[in-house]
Amino acid sequence: MVAALLVALPFLGAFLIPLVGMGSKRIAYSIPAIVLLADLGIALSLLPQALRAPIVVSISGWAPPLSINLYVGPLGLGLAILISLLGFLVAVYGMGYIHAEPKEKYHMLVLTLITGAIGMVLTGDIFNLFVFFEILSLSSYALTGYNRDRTGTEAAVKYLIQGSIGSAFILIGIALLYGALGTLNMADLAARITAGDPMTMFLALSFLLVGFGIEAAISPLNAWLPDAHSSAPSSVSAILSGIAIETGAYAVARIVYTVFPGQGIMFVLAIIGIVTLLMGEMAAFHQHDDVKRMLAYSSIGQMGLIVFAFGMASQAGAFAALFQLVSHTLAKGLLFLAVGYMIYRVGSRRISAFAGLGRRMPMTGTMVAIAVLSLIGVPPFTGFMSKLAVVRAGLMQHSAVYTGMVVLVLVATMIEVGYLLRFLQVLFFAVPETDEVAELPLSAALPIAILAALIIAIGIYPQMITGLLHQAAAGLVERAAYIKSVLGAL
Amino acid sequence: MRAFIGFVALSLIAVGLALALYHIPFGQDRMDVARDYLARSVRDTGAPNVVTGIVVNYRALDTLGEVTVLFSASLGVGMLMTWRSPGGGRPLPGASLIVRRGAGFLFPFILLFGGYIFVHGHLTPGGGFQGGAVIASAFLLLYLGIPGYLLARRPLAAIESLTGITFVAIGIIGLAVGGYFLNNFLPKGSVFSLFSAGVIPILYMVIGLKVGAELAGVVANMIGGGEE
Amino acid sequence: MNAGDPMVYAGAVGLILIGLFTVITRRNLIKIIIGLTLLDGGVNLLLVAVGYIQGRTAPIITPAHPDTARMVDPIPQALVLTAIVIGLGVTALGLGLAIRVYGHYNTLDTRKIRGLKW
Repeated sequence: MVAALLVALPFLGAFLIPLVGMGSKRIAYSIPAIVLLADLGIALSLLPQALRAPIVVSISGWAPPLSINLYVGPLGLGLAILISLLGFLVAVYGMGYIHAEPKEKYHMLVLTLITGAIGMVLTGDIFNLFVFFEILSLSSYALTGYNRDRTGTEAAVKYLIQGSIGSAFILIGIALLYGALGTLNMADLAARITAGDPMTMFLALSFLLVGFGIEAAISPLNAWLPDAHSSAPSSVSAILSGIAIETGAYAVARIVYTVFPGQGIMFVLAIIGIVTLLMGEMAAFHQHDDVKRMLAYSSIGQMGLIVFAFGMASQAGAFAALFQLVSHTLAKGLLFLAVGYMIYRVGSRRISAFAGLGRRMPMTGTMVAIAVLSLIGVPPFTGFMSKLAVVRAGLMQHSAVYTGMVVLVLVATMIEVGYLLRFLQVLFFAVPETDEVAELPLSAALPIAILAALIIAIGIYPQMITGLLHQAAAGLVERAAYIKSVLGAL
Repeated sequence: MRAFIGFVALSLIAVGLALALYHIPFGQDRMDVARDYLARSVRDTGAPNVVTGIVVNYRALDTLGEVTVLFSASLGVGMLMTWRSPGGGRPLPGASLIVRRGAGFLFPFILLFGGYIFVHGHLTPGGGFQGGAVIASAFLLLYLGIPGYLLARRPLAAIESLTGITFVAIGIIGLAVGGYFLNNFLPKGSVFSLFSAGVIPILYMVIGLKVGAELAGVVANMIGGGEE
Repeated sequence: MNAGDPMVYAGAVGLILIGLFTVITRRNLIKIIIGLTLLDGGVNLLLVAVGYIQGRTAPIITPAHPDTARMVDPIPQALVLTAIVIGLGVTALGLGLAIRVYGHYNTLDTRKIRGLKW
């Protein structure tokens, strides 16, 4: 029963902001943080129950194929915790970082974006997934253009055009699925999928994958990403890189694992993942100029790695993918938040402008270094454990092809080492161009420090989350249990 | 090159859709869950308009989501249009006497019609979105008919906010009373009468006002020249 | 049933293809957005067509027509209602962005809007 509040509260918060804003702007700006903190609390309190058995709640009270249901299992709840955590930190950060008006609209859009993300990972209905996906996309398009400068609006238009084509594809996929199977509930669909004509099912799957693949930035559907992620305000980049594309990957995984049983497509997914990984990392390597663009390309590479791990079609692979997803969210969230303030301080996105900034802002510099090392996969940070899990899962496939792909993952890591260490070198060892630079204000330092602490804590003591992730991976792989818990409920 | 890739992609999509639709023959009865909806809707929701029963009761979360999509879009347009240079927009040419008088004369009737559509959404074709769109068109008419007409944004924002809060609040009351978010907690009344179907007419009124305010806001922001 | 049937599908698929063609080949932002609208329209038509059942009426029960066995599938209609509103939101936001882009570049031609690579 409480689980429905996970979705209801963010909606309520978003609608409350304008009304409260007529009284006190300060309170209105803090609503996203309050709501997301409450969501985080609810999600954490539900965790023990969800780990015992997934919580299936019906919305509006009828048994699942009739009503939309929320599926609060280890996977959905784990991702909801991650999303509300990063969302909360970005909301706190945004209170100090965003100076341009209309601030009220910024905070509302951030909250609607995160509402969409939380809804996506919790819903059990494929059309509802689409609706939440649209909330997320539309808010991201608007936020990408928030600065209203030349590049921002242009990137937003590009994102909107490509994203809308993706949405249309998703809707075509849903129409085909509904036409063939007569239901929209994902568990119900999964139960009936074998009754459908294989050709129609394959085509529906293709349309859905292309649609969600655009949001998940899978190659070659990611032309929008580098522009959008680099032109948006940095707090928005953190959400786009740390939440939006991950939910796209979640949707892809939920569809290929739960709804469609099919090993053939998984292998294609693994190959696409590797291609995405290599192309993203190489593009990032060639990015000598713009920090945010470099980080954006690195996000593409990391998404490739996640998709590759999902493509292994094994529980170990799904576990590794989820672990990598968590570590990428933490590291990239931190990087965009920290770099955002650095850009603000030096007034430029050029890497050369960051010369020696790590020594001028030692605190922030250290945090950035932690995130960068975690992204590369250096122990004792989270990224090391997650990359290790990916490599281990790949080798556990006992197939020469997958072993070859694991080698390519290591090659990509070497490329990562190349450009990220180059960045650190500029940050710490180049001769500073600037004089004194002030450290971060508390509203920015606190979120960044929390993310850094999590990266270290999970890296040293991975058991903190691996239990949850193992269960989440099991929940993804075991279709029969998913079907039974939804259709058997109520 | 671009044209060639486009051609290949379009051909693939055309063939794919044709192959998929070949197995979904047009016009045949393939209903499954839908049959339950048709059979149960009046009993479960009290709404003889089955589509309304689905949109506002069975799948009400979709509707909350779609209201939020429109909310985001209206926010986005408002955000993009703030602080636009005042001389940016061309002044609209003055309308003729007939248009001006006509707009003023029709305005209340269009509002009434929009209201009628969403109030009767559970009985007849139509509902909150359709009614809301009609209401917004009334304001568009004022913009076109009366030069220099400005819609005050604050009341619009207040309506958007209040109606959104009401929607979620009704949902939470349902959660508290019935145990399910967006559950119907009012008596369903007698079928085919205006005061029936529990919370559906209330929700549709809320949606109608919200959609009307949001679309009118989008129009107002795009025409520009407003205060913020 | 007979010859007329697949025409609705053909119309929907045709609209989808015309929309995509417009988005891919046109260089004017407004025309691209029109293409997206066509695409949306095609998808919505497809969705409604999937739920249509030959010879039946709208899924609204009235005292004169209480027989639910003579009604079409209501679900696609509910979905399309949602999808139309979503498409409307995207169009509104797209047009807003186009106004902004025009303000920056004084053109809507995507070949001349080159702050970023397209």
